[in-house]
Amino acid sequence: MEYKLIKLEKIQDFINALIASGKQVLAPKQKKEKVFFSLVGSFDEIAMDYIQTAFSAKSAVFPKCEELYTFEKNGKDTILHNPPAPENDTIVFGMRPCDGAAFDYLTTFFLKENPDYHFKMRYDKTIFVGLTCSSGDEFCFCTSVGISPSDTRGSDLMLTKTENGYYMEIITEKGKKLVEQFSNFFEQTEQIDKTKYTANIQKRFDSSALKEKISGAFNWERWEETSLPCFGCGTCAFSCPTCTCFDIQDEANLVGGARYRIWDTCALGIFTKHASGHNPREKQSERWRNRILHKFLYTDEQFVTLSCVGCGRCIRNCPAELSIIEQVNAIMEG
Amino acid sequence: MSELINKVSQFFSSGIIDLFIGYKKGRLGEGKPAFFTKPEQLNELIFDENCIVNLAVYLRKPELKKYSKIGVLANFGTLRALLQLAAENQIADGQYLILTVADGKVLEFANLKAIEEYVANNLPKPNPERIAFLKEIESKSREERWEFWTRELASCIRCYACRAACPLCYCEQCLVECNQPQWVGVPPTGMGNLEWHIVRAMHLAGRCIGCGECEAACPMEIPIGFLTQKLNMAIISNFGQVPGTKLEPDYALSTFKVDDKENFIR
Repeated sequence: MEYKLIKLEKIQDFINALIASGKQVLAPKQKKEKVFFSLVGSFDEIAMDYIQTAFSAKSAVFPKCEELYTFEKNGKDTILHNPPAPENDTIVFGMRPCDGAAFDYLTTFFLKENPDYHFKMRYDKTIFVGLTCSSGDEFCFCTSVGISPSDTRGSDLMLTKTENGYYMEIITEKGKKLVEQFSNFFEQTEQIDKTKYTANIQKRFDSSALKEKISGAFNWERWEETSLPCFGCGTCAFSCPTCTCFDIQDEANLVGGARYRIWDTCALGIFTKHASGHNPREKQSERWRNRILHKFLYTDEQFVTLSCVGCGRCIRNCPAELSIIEQVNAIMEG
Repeated sequence: MSELINKVSQFFSSGIIDLFIGYKKGRLGEGKPAFFTKPEQLNELIFDENCIVNLAVYLRKPELKKYSKIGVLANFGTLRALLQLAAENQIADGQYLILTVADGKVLEFANLKAIEEYVANNLPKPNPERIAFLKEIESKSREERWEFWTRELASCIRCYACRAACPLCYCEQCLVECNQPQWVGVPPTGMGNLEWHIVRAMHLAGRCIGCGECEAACPMEIPIGFLTQKLNMAIISNFGQVPGTKLEPDYALSTFKVDDKENFIR
């Protein structure tokens, strides 16, 4: 692996040069109390001091709403048009290692069998610049699910803030190309030990012990009691870096229209409601159970990976403050 | 707090309630909703001005049907929501045991009428910051207001957290879930988002009790509470109707008088 250093005063010039070159830069930006990944027009708009963005970086490749295709009537025929691929690269800047690790799951889900055209078209044009966490909060639990706060998984380039500037690990070919294109911002450096600059994130549960316990948890009698505060807003899933469920919706008039893919969530009653009116997940507790088992059991069975990366967004964003950490520990207690 | 805990504990031991919905310590000093089924859990029970979640939202949960009598620790927004729900025939007198804490004393409401009196005597003045913000929006031109709301609502992800957090959004099937015909566009595009938020605000016009839970639940920080607040202010000034203060239905947008001057009403 190659290592570089960006001096503190150069990071601004680097970002502004990326923007000037026509690349789209998606970076953390403050909005009221929260920080969101947003397209930025200059380095000044970027929030550099934050623990976690309110929503994950998945929207760069799996947006809340995307056109799958448009259609138009032409006499008796219907003509379909694929959406154009993005012309310019998108740089996701300042992605936390948990979000990076989430791409292990997202790429397995979207690209492994029958690669998803729309995901791939965006993913191929996106460069992920990770940023080591120098601090965490009580809702961070990446280390409980096998991820470290300086994990390089899913990142093309990985930054770690040191007293000399940003230490950069060049992880992928994609990252290397970007560094070569903007080489005048970087200095050569040796490999360093990142530990000193990395947050100490406490382990909140033992995922291997959970694995044994959770396989028989479907009929656990405390699902209802532990999920009573959930009023089904769905924010947990929408802000989750690994939730991939979507709905397909058409918007059309007499001459044509578009078919959209939009985020969906198992927290909503309509998610499983049948046309007959029957709903196999009638109660919120059954929807909550599905969410927890999906994260810690179902994807492990299907793809041999957990689909929780310990980012803590579902806890921070929950209006009723339900905690996935408390939930997991309750399951462990039995 | 010990008076409250003792009182609720007695309600449990004398079999008056088998579930108590209150608050326990949450993040950053806030209170979070908590469900107590045994008196020994009550040491976690708290109540102060940071307990803001409107607990009336939970009363429609089917999971609660198995409890024979439920006690609710009500903040002011919850009390108003209970009155509005009663006015709309969604809850009955005596169905719940309602408590609040005022000036450090635990108040137990004998019936909904007692809540009506309490609310009438304690209605707070509108928050000056919110009024100032509304004035600021009102002072803009029509085009600027349109630009403001289309920009704010563009970030809506249509998670419907606003609907889920609202104690007055209790429809079994929401209009936005109706797809034959599809009245409101579902994708979170500009037009669909505007339609959704206009529909939501209109369905709460004259019914919104102003607890602010929709805005607090919005994960995108959209100031949606101002839409219903503005509509309510218009209804209060034109019809004198204040939602969540009366047990009788008093709802500007769905009442009529048979002696109305207009012909169409007859």
